Amino acid sequence: MRPEHWFFTVPLRIRSIFRRRRVETELDEELRFHLEHKIEEGVEAGLTPEEARRRAFLAMGGLDQRKEEIRDARRIHWLTDFVDDVRYASRSLRRSPGLTAFIVITIALGVGMTATPLSMLDALIFRPYPVPRPGEVVTLVSTSRDNPFDSFSFREYLDIRDHVKSYVGVVAHTALMTVGFSPRPVEIPRIRGALLVSGNFFRALEVEPRIGRGFRDDEDRVPGRDPVVVLGSEFWKSEFGSDPSVVGRTIRLNGRDFTVIGVGPEGFTSLYIFDRPDFYVPLAMAGSFTTNPKKSFFSDRDDRELTVRGRLRRGTRLGDARGELELLGRDFAREYPATNRERGAAVRTMLETRTQPGDANWKFAVIFTTLAFVVLLVACTNAAGLLLARARARTREIAVRLAIGAGRFRLVRLLLTESLVLALLGGICGVAVGYVGIAALQTFSIPAEIPVRIPFRMDARVLTASLGFSILSALFCGLFPAFQSTRVDLVNGLKAADQGPNGRRRLWGRNALVVAQVAMSLMLLAASFVMYRGFQRSLSEGLDFATEAKDHVLLARFDPRLVQYDTERTQRFYQQLVERVREKPGVWSAALTQNPPLGLEGWDMVTFVPENFEMPRDRDVLASRADTVDEGYFETIGVPILRGRGFRSSDDSGAPRVAVVNEHFAQHYWPGADALGKRFRLGGRAGEPVEVVGVAQNIHYGDIFSGRTDFLYMPVAQHPVARLVLMVRSDGDALQLLDPIQDVVRSLDPNMPMLRTMSYAELYRYSVVVGPGVAIKLVGTLGAVALLLAIAGLYGLVSYNVSRRTREIGIRMAIGARPRDVLRLVMGRGLALVAIGTVFGIAMGFGVERAMNSMLFHAGGTDLLVYAVVVPTMVLVTMLAAWVPARRAARIAPTLALRYE
Amino acid sequence: MSKPADLVQGTLDLLLLKILALQPLHGWAISLRLRSISNEVLQVSEGSLYPALHKLEQEGWIQAEWKQTENNRKAKFYSLTRLGRRQLETESANWQRLSSAISHVVQLSEA
Repeated sequence: MRPEHWFFTVPLRIRSIFRRRRVETELDEELRFHLEHKIEEGVEAGLTPEEARRRAFLAMGGLDQRKEEIRDARRIHWLTDFVDDVRYASRSLRRSPGLTAFIVITIALGVGMTATPLSMLDALIFRPYPVPRPGEVVTLVSTSRDNPFDSFSFREYLDIRDHVKSYVGVVAHTALMTVGFSPRPVEIPRIRGALLVSGNFFRALEVEPRIGRGFRDDEDRVPGRDPVVVLGSEFWKSEFGSDPSVVGRTIRLNGRDFTVIGVGPEGFTSLYIFDRPDFYVPLAMAGSFTTNPKKSFFSDRDDRELTVRGRLRRGTRLGDARGELELLGRDFAREYPATNRERGAAVRTMLETRTQPGDANWKFAVIFTTLAFVVLLVACTNAAGLLLARARARTREIAVRLAIGAGRFRLVRLLLTESLVLALLGGICGVAVGYVGIAALQTFSIPAEIPVRIPFRMDARVLTASLGFSILSALFCGLFPAFQSTRVDLVNGLKAADQGPNGRRRLWGRNALVVAQVAMSLMLLAASFVMYRGFQRSLSEGLDFATEAKDHVLLARFDPRLVQYDTERTQRFYQQLVERVREKPGVWSAALTQNPPLGLEGWDMVTFVPENFEMPRDRDVLASRADTVDEGYFETIGVPILRGRGFRSSDDSGAPRVAVVNEHFAQHYWPGADALGKRFRLGGRAGEPVEVVGVAQNIHYGDIFSGRTDFLYMPVAQHPVARLVLMVRSDGDALQLLDPIQDVVRSLDPNMPMLRTMSYAELYRYSVVVGPGVAIKLVGTLGAVALLLAIAGLYGLVSYNVSRRTREIGIRMAIGARPRDVLRLVMGRGLALVAIGTVFGIAMGFGVERAMNSMLFHAGGTDLLVYAVVVPTMVLVTMLAAWVPARRAARIAPTLALRYE
Repeated sequence: MSKPADLVQGTLDLLLLKILALQPLHGWAISLRLRSISNEVLQVSEGSLYPALHKLEQEGWIQAEWKQTENNRKAKFYSLTRLGRRQLETESANWQRLSSAISHVVQLSEA
């Protein structure tokens, strides 16, 4: 229809809906006006007033039909009918408050249980980038055998930017970097997060600053020339109180003055899920920031620190873009074999980047969401069962309605409206439940240096999805009962209150529901138990050191580059720091490491070629995770050296290169032989030879899910690193050492920032206790809720059967059946259903177990203990649920039962 | 009993639009006008008049307004909208075409 048409009609429709009474009176008025004139005319023509009146009404041809016709003309019938249905439904639901409450709670639990994992799933996978037309933005990655999502170097980025044609713009940015920030030169720097971005970053992503401006291309051309900075909008609010005059002001970052040129748009928080940068700085200023000190950011082709993103040109097919970049990747490998051998390039969509196989978070979200949907399904089957029972009890009412001419479709609509009201009530309560769950997730504190944002929230997307699912569940649990109950044999239906012609089929439906419930809750219980056991397994080994170290070790991270130390000065600082800390009373030992075990930062990957090891035919180098530590490390953190020795202070830059490997590494490359004295070459066949001098125990290095891996330790004196963690072990409480250590640092350099000081217990609690605990709790809650729902469902079924068969039971008892026989009769069916459900549940449990093991725990096989615990529990509990109403039946007095009905 | 059998479908709409094109009128006056201008040939049941009027109103072709009548009573006066005027043009053109075609056919069969 044309807009001009709407101009006239829309106000009328709105008026008919919202001023219904007014419209009706006007209609009455209009018709009365007509009738009065008609009667007047008749009287003037000589009729008696009564006769004139009669004829006037006759000419109208049935006043009420006319009015109905006129109402039809308003075309809002669908709505008024719906409103009537809702009114009717709420009235009839109010009449059975117990049942209503039960269904609402059931659905609320189901929807609430899905809302929390949905918010995780959304945040981790589906929420679009906070930029206009986010679907056009893809990530360009370097691919190697060890990492299919690797970054690019600055050189590679320039080549890509200049050669690809599929994009409107290709931008690059680093990961979030710690930066020392002081609003005025005299202040001691505070630690903040900064992102180095290419000059076209804001323009290509179409998130140009609203206040001030974004970068000009020439500001990102000459290294070190243009110290300009764009502030993150949240930082601008919290630090500068949203003062727009901040543009043009000078702030100090890592000891250098930067001019603020703009403030990023509200709501733009980079393309990362967890990070919200406070500063955006051009790539050309990389020299002032903490990039890899072993490489040269602007010239080394293998200094891969940049995430490259492109905004696809409109009309460009993704496939073409992929092909183009793959070709370029092959060119790189041909032209620069030294740095790009066995390396390719690929385009990844947002979904692909967020579901990297190495990341455990999104897998959790997927598993939780799937399990939560099973709970919702159980809840729906429960509600469906109850609605079915209710519909059967209403057979007579429905038969009467059909008999007096209600259309079947109209009745189905009415019944569906009822379940919709139920489901929406349940959905709203469910959102409240979900809100509580999400709020609990947000209280998580992650011990990172720069505050990490917890991206899970109850936003419009999650809200819509939750309410959408409650409407779907209304359809799911209402449609079947509605169609069933409107297919009534009128004659029989009118005769008895509770009798259906196809009772057998209906019972079949209910039975299937119970079987499904039992099976699904069994599966959920098994899943939560598998998860619990999996965590236990991961926690049971490789953590001995941590349980001992957690209360005694203090961590403090330093990065002297923040205060412009060069390599030599940095080394001297660390040396003095450790020496002086060791002298403090109460200090048992002190050490340096790049990262504490179980820490949040990733490990360096080191490439090497072992001597006397037959390399796989298709590889030139092997890779392993590695840490750079000093001589006190193994003692301080408590990782035992099983063979050989740890590092000594004599392993300095002048001495032969040495390394310590873990057991896994030793067995991997020198199986059956002694790894001590074996050598490998760093970087490649022609690299420095390094001798293995010790074998350390396997421990958990990163998150506790990662399976056993190779690990390599190298002495910091031979491989200087700027960014290190000082670990201090005390005789008593670790936090007591905080003040003495601060004194030492202040005496060395009062400006040196200590990034994130904490006791090892804090890290331990996060990685070992809280994270797995939350996961177990979530899955456990899901399982418990499902079990509860299954119990309620079974109890409902059996007690419903009992009430229907009261008369039959009475007769049986009157002719001599004993209570035990009755018990067996009533419980028999319930137990048969439980048995069938259990079989299905075990089968589903196996499937889920396999999926979870391969996704999370890197384990195989079936954990029989899981089923040995879960199945008897399930059977016992469901038997109890059937037994309670069955016992009631067995106690029926025959005289009472026969009088029933 | 609802639809006048002797009126071709849609003709009532055309008649009402035409009548209202001349001047705004209330329902009773329209029914009088219908009776007089068609010389009592076209029998329009008063019952079908109001549903038809309301339908035209909901289509946006006519609009209603409560006004005083000459003997000082309030009545609902209908008048043509811009859309209605356009609709009247198309409908009367259609009608011309249809009636000339039919009379053509009728003459053919007699010849």
